[in-house]
Amino acid sequence: MDVAYYPGCSLHALAHEYDLSTRLVCERLGINLQEVPDWNCCGATAAHSLDHSLNVALSARNLQLVDYIKMKEVMTPCSGCFSRLKSGVTELQKVSVREEAEATTGNSLVSATDVKVYHLLQLLTEKVDHEKIEELLVKPLQGLKLAAYYGCLITRPKAVVQFDDPEQPTSMDRLLQAVGAETVKWSHKAECCGGGFAISQTDIVVDLGGQVLEAARQAGASAIVVACPMCQANLDTRQRAIEAERARNYDMPIIYFTQLLGLALGYSPKQVGMNRLLTSPNRLLKSMSA
Amino acid sequence: MDVDFYRPMRLNYQNNALQDEIKAACDTDVERCLECGKCSGGCSNAHIFDYVPRKIVQLVKLGDEDRLMHMDALWICVACHLCVDRCPSQINIPSIIDYMRQKAYRQGIRAERTNIELFHELMLGLVKKNGRISEAPLTISFNLKSKQYLKDAGLAPRMFFKGKLNPFSPRVKDISQVRRLFIKNPRLKEV
Ligand code: SF4
Ligand code: SF4
Repeated sequence: MDVAYYPGCSLHALAHEYDLSTRLVCERLGINLQEVPDWNCCGATAAHSLDHSLNVALSARNLQLVDYIKMKEVMTPCSGCFSRLKSGVTELQKVSVREEAEATTGNSLVSATDVKVYHLLQLLTEKVDHEKIEELLVKPLQGLKLAAYYGCLITRPKAVVQFDDPEQPTSMDRLLQAVGAETVKWSHKAECCGGGFAISQTDIVVDLGGQVLEAARQAGASAIVVACPMCQANLDTRQRAIEAERARNYDMPIIYFTQLLGLALGYSPKQVGMNRLLTSPNRLLKSMSA
Repeated sequence: MDVDFYRPMRLNYQNNALQDEIKAACDTDVERCLECGKCSGGCSNAHIFDYVPRKIVQLVKLGDEDRLMHMDALWICVACHLCVDRCPSQINIPSIIDYMRQKAYRQGIRAERTNIELFHELMLGLVKKNGRISEAPLTISFNLKSKQYLKDAGLAPRMFFKGKLNPFSPRVKDISQVRRLFIKNPRLKEV
């Protein structure tokens, strides 16, 4: 299967391990990723906060590049980028919006609006047989009790995204179970981690992220599994601040689902970038091999 | 709070201009609101909002544009979309919030939380300059500009050690294509 790949800014910087593990897992599963040439930032929270037409135009250029390399499907592992690209397509399907974006970008966007946008989790759920993953399983994740955390933007707003359940999603749980892990039932799988406020309004992340960590702990999870670089960064880099605020020690590794899939498919912890996580997953990984 | 949400609303005594504007811009008809409060119940940040989502919808009905453009909720909505997916009438509150924030911003109404606005502006500035962003230069310039010189001083070395901070600024090769999106945009304020 060929699919265009939009990594987004985070996967080239802070979330390099997500990029690494995504590429490895896709290769093993026979998904051929073609990186969108010369892609630009999706605009993140900033563009849609301050200017709607800029927000649409930034997505439009990316979608047009997907079309330029003659691909009809684009996948991104970042929930923020996913949300921007996906709502970009929805917006551009309105003729007046499209015409304005065409004037701004200087390109025809007619066929770009046919591009289908996938989140990586969605691609692995809808386009890959879980039996195939089970066949390729090298190292089952036995003994791991995980909290699958989806956050906001993979499943909401449901009218735009049309994937899984908006508040009780199960796709990541099923993937992790397919490779032998146990997932906990918990209250915060689709609550917000604080999103784009990690730097500008850190107290919001400490508040909302703290609720997520506490809920995972109460459910008995030994790690939180994420599918978004913002969720990962918020819960991992702000974990010490959350611990200080709540006077409790969490020591909760925040791991990308692709890193765990990669391990299960036979890659080493180093290959999937486990060493790059701030809260060390070493104890968890040891409990697995025992 | 000095707006009386509990007085009976006589919409035909009011000017409906804002309601119509929102209907056109946000594809959402506030008249369908049932006032059930499910949006506020689901909202991630209702506990710190000055006006909770249900009241925001009421303010649109009341045509109280001024209050909408000055409210703190504009800047601390995390766009989690819990409200819209719980709303029985599909009222798109984050879209209303985005619209009012952008309108306020264009009119030069500054957020009380200046840091959030500053962060958005710095980010867009970097996108305009390089086409892509990386967290390290953005954080550094934010901490300097917001005069929080020691913020994250403990965190940065841990992240650096893990290779998490890429000091280089990534760039789009054909940067003129990206700059064009800023320059050709008829409504955008200079960033
Ligand atoms: S959930 Fe919808 S219908 Fe209910 S109060 Fe909120 S906006 Fe109105
Ligand atoms: S999108 Fe904004 S208003 Fe709606 S629930 Fe989330 S934080 Fe609240």
